[in-house]
Amino acid sequence: MKILSVVSKLAIFIGIVIILGIFGYAIFGNRVIIKKSPLIASEAPNFTLDLFNGDKIKLSELRGKAVLLNFWASWCIPCRDEAPALESSWLKYKDKPVVFLGVNIWDDDSNAISYLRTYNGGYPNGKDPAGDITVNYGVAGVPATYFIDTTGKITDKYVGPLTVDIIDHFLSRALLNSDHEVSYETDN
Amino acid sequence: MRPTTEFREMIKSEYSISKFYLTALFFLTSLSILSPTLSDTIDDNVSEISYHLMCPVCQGQSVAESNSELAKDMRAIIRKKLEQGSTKEEILAYFVDRYGESILGSPPAKGANWLLWILPAFAILFGGICIGVFLYRSKTNRLQPETTKEGELISPRSEYIEKLDRELKDLDR
Repeated sequence: MKILSVVSKLAIFIGIVIILGIFGYAIFGNRVIIKKSPLIASEAPNFTLDLFNGDKIKLSELRGKAVLLNFWASWCIPCRDEAPALESSWLKYKDKPVVFLGVNIWDDDSNAISYLRTYNGGYPNGKDPAGDITVNYGVAGVPATYFIDTTGKITDKYVGPLTVDIIDHFLSRALLNSDHEVSYETDN
Repeated sequence: MRPTTEFREMIKSEYSISKFYLTALFFLTSLSILSPTLSDTIDDNVSEISYHLMCPVCQGQSVAESNSELAKDMRAIIRKKLEQGSTKEEILAYFVDRYGESILGSPPAKGANWLLWILPAFAILFGGICIGVFLYRSKTNRLQPETTKEGELISPRSEYIEKLDRELKDLDR
């Protein structure tokens, strides 16, 4: 009787430990996998972006330059938060082999154009009405930014509002294999 | 008055033609019902594949169930890929390559994922063992006489016997 009691207590204890372990793995173990895009280190999917000014840009034609590909929407508050950082960084990298590209998704053209008049100064912005580029890049929310190196490979994906420091950090990684050096200055 | 042979032949031939047309109509109708059109098949396949994919911006909804913009885009891409001749496996692999395995409604039973598949069976087995142990213990306890810490036998009826004794003594007084 006593032996049975010890065995059953031990079984319950082991069972609880196993179940907690599984839950712990499911919660904390998967977190890293979810955050990391499977596209990182792979070739950036090619696309032709229809710009709001009527022009077109093909990603493959930008080979040799680092690309900051930013997905945004006019209704997205964090997108408005990051807009000044994107604009000032674009001015900073204007004379370097870096291209800033904005992709407007899940939006109305009129709202997007109005947003661009308010927040965007110069770098090219286009739309993806069919969602081809959006899904091809595995975008699940805005703002989302991809950093593509000079060889056309995705070096990083950043989800959330960008700051000048974050842009500097990821662009320095995207330009790592290029001949151009980027000064990475922080306030710290 | 009996119909002439010609009239009978005419009726017979008209009856045969009608029979032929009716039979043909029946088969054509059956075929149109039984064999779905290409668009029906693609619709079904879009739905089936969409049910296997979880909407990345929704809580617990599949791409088939969600009305989000992303889910609509994903369904359109599934349709486009099916029209281009891609198989279900190729389409699922396309989405896994972009969103990771977490996009699949039922993760493949490989790597650490096998835990998700055996967990329900393990939980049922564990629960069964616990219930079994509990029932066995309660049955054993019921059959075994209760004893004190010193091993003295406690009769379940002793209280009643003592009470009876007290009442009998009271009656004797």
